[in-house]
Amino acid sequence: MTSVLARSQSAATESDHRDPLLRLSQLLDVDSVTSLHHPDDSGVLAVRGTIDGSPVFAYCTDATKMGGALGLTGTRHIVTAIDAAVREGAPVIGLWHCGGARLADGVESLHGCGRMFSAMTRASGKVPQISVVLGPAAGAAAYGPALTDVIVMAEQGRVFVTGPDVVKTVTGEEIDMEGLGGGNSHSRKSGVVHVTVGTESEAYSRTRRLVGFFGKPGLYDLSRIRGERNLRELLPDSPRRAYDVHPLVHAIVDAEKGGPVFEELQPKWAPNILIGLGRLGGHTIGVIANNPLRKGGCLDSLSAEKAARFVRLCDAFGIPLLVLVDVPGYLPGVGQEWGGVVRRGAKLLHAFAETVVPRVTLITRKSYGGAYIAMNSRSLGATAVFAWPEAEVAVMGAEAAVNILHRRKLAAAPEEEREALRLELVAEQQRVAGGVDRAMDIGVVDEVIEPRHTRRRLAEALAAAPAARGQHGNIPL
Amino acid sequence: MAEQIEAEIVANVLKVVAEEGQAVAEGDTVVILESMKMEIPVLTESAGTLSKLAVKEGDVVQEHDLIAVID
Repeated sequence: MTSVLARSQSAATESDHRDPLLRLSQLLDVDSVTSLHHPDDSGVLAVRGTIDGSPVFAYCTDATKMGGALGLTGTRHIVTAIDAAVREGAPVIGLWHCGGARLADGVESLHGCGRMFSAMTRASGKVPQISVVLGPAAGAAAYGPALTDVIVMAEQGRVFVTGPDVVKTVTGEEIDMEGLGGGNSHSRKSGVVHVTVGTESEAYSRTRRLVGFFGKPGLYDLSRIRGERNLRELLPDSPRRAYDVHPLVHAIVDAEKGGPVFEELQPKWAPNILIGLGRLGGHTIGVIANNPLRKGGCLDSLSAEKAARFVRLCDAFGIPLLVLVDVPGYLPGVGQEWGGVVRRGAKLLHAFAETVVPRVTLITRKSYGGAYIAMNSRSLGATAVFAWPEAEVAVMGAEAAVNILHRRKLAAAPEEEREALRLELVAEQQRVAGGVDRAMDIGVVDEVIEPRHTRRRLAEALAAAPAARGQHGNIPL
Repeated sequence: MAEQIEAEIVANVLKVVAEEGQAVAEGDTVVILESMKMEIPVLTESAGTLSKLAVKEGDVVQEHDLIAVID
């Protein structure tokens, strides 16, 4: 029961950019769109098509009909697309511009939305699900995308459970749709959106790129890695100085047309950790990196949750992980403790510990304490752990350790000799407990690598590990 | 639109780099904070004029405290 849809068929409604066929035709390869159902008034168009020649399924809410509101039939079309994608092992993409459940359909529409949520959850971890929010997506249309793996939002996109009118009635807060659920709010404050873009056409091209990372993981080709630069130059000379980790990540992943092959996710939310999809030696990888420029690169509740969900996403789809570590510890504070950093930080430990994909760690500068363990340590099952020559691996920094371990000795020393003694003890502590030698002795670091060999050694280690894929869904942690 | 730069972390203000009234480009350093035994530059996210500098060297800032305003 399929019908081939050509782009010209939409000529009658071409003036309306909300036409679902027009939208899907822009996302998918030219002339590849085939409907999964007869035309109807359900408010949803579900199709199969291709992206760069690979099969995908897609659905789009029809904002020209009752604001794209979802009824029983519309949600059934979405379920059909998702179930077909799972059967064929193809990615499924949803385009959202939808006011929520159809009021006129009553509880029946709620039932339909619930079945749609069930289908999304069944498909979770089996096939990549990407949501593209093009206009308002309220209520059920907000939770639909939230159950999928990646959310892309265009400038007219708005996501909220209840809109400004209800918010004002209930809480008295006055805010417009953009302030409540626009790109700025969701990219910085809530972390709901992974990729924020400008125009709709930009949303489609970024989505096609994302689908490529999942759908075409590629093969390792180590001959692509040539003429390596000294990546140490991208870090400040002083080990105390914070820096932005982006240039390092961009220098490690493959380049194409002069730019890095890298799509960062949630770049402005919990920015003390960086996550994103890229390629190394031609193969898709997931990158996780502490960013010392923000909060010193400390792990905290939000960054642990951000990284944990990403680790599980990559594991579910067999995407190997590269973990770049420069972390001073977990962020201390009453706010963190009462905010549940113990409960929420545990998600990252759990995520790494259960992960079966190849996952390689590089410690560039320092890795301390509980955060050392959490950042894909040997104990959590890292495939390989590398360190640059100056790296420090310890329970805490040498100075802090000395102040605790030798508190009495320091207090007993005469005032004028105390500082000299402290410096001596710090040097001793660094030598016996902090350097990378001790970490290698006990087998938690495999190899010290020269910064200029970084790309090659990381790619070799990832390529040598047997491919694997976790058997689990990608719960929105 | 004015950009409010707030502290992300409890810290000492180690060094004030920019001056009130100065023109700044995106990514310029406004102050350098010291926290977790690290020196952490605080950068602007937009270009404009540094219309207000709310901290001085030696101050202790709490999370969400205002550091500067860019107009």
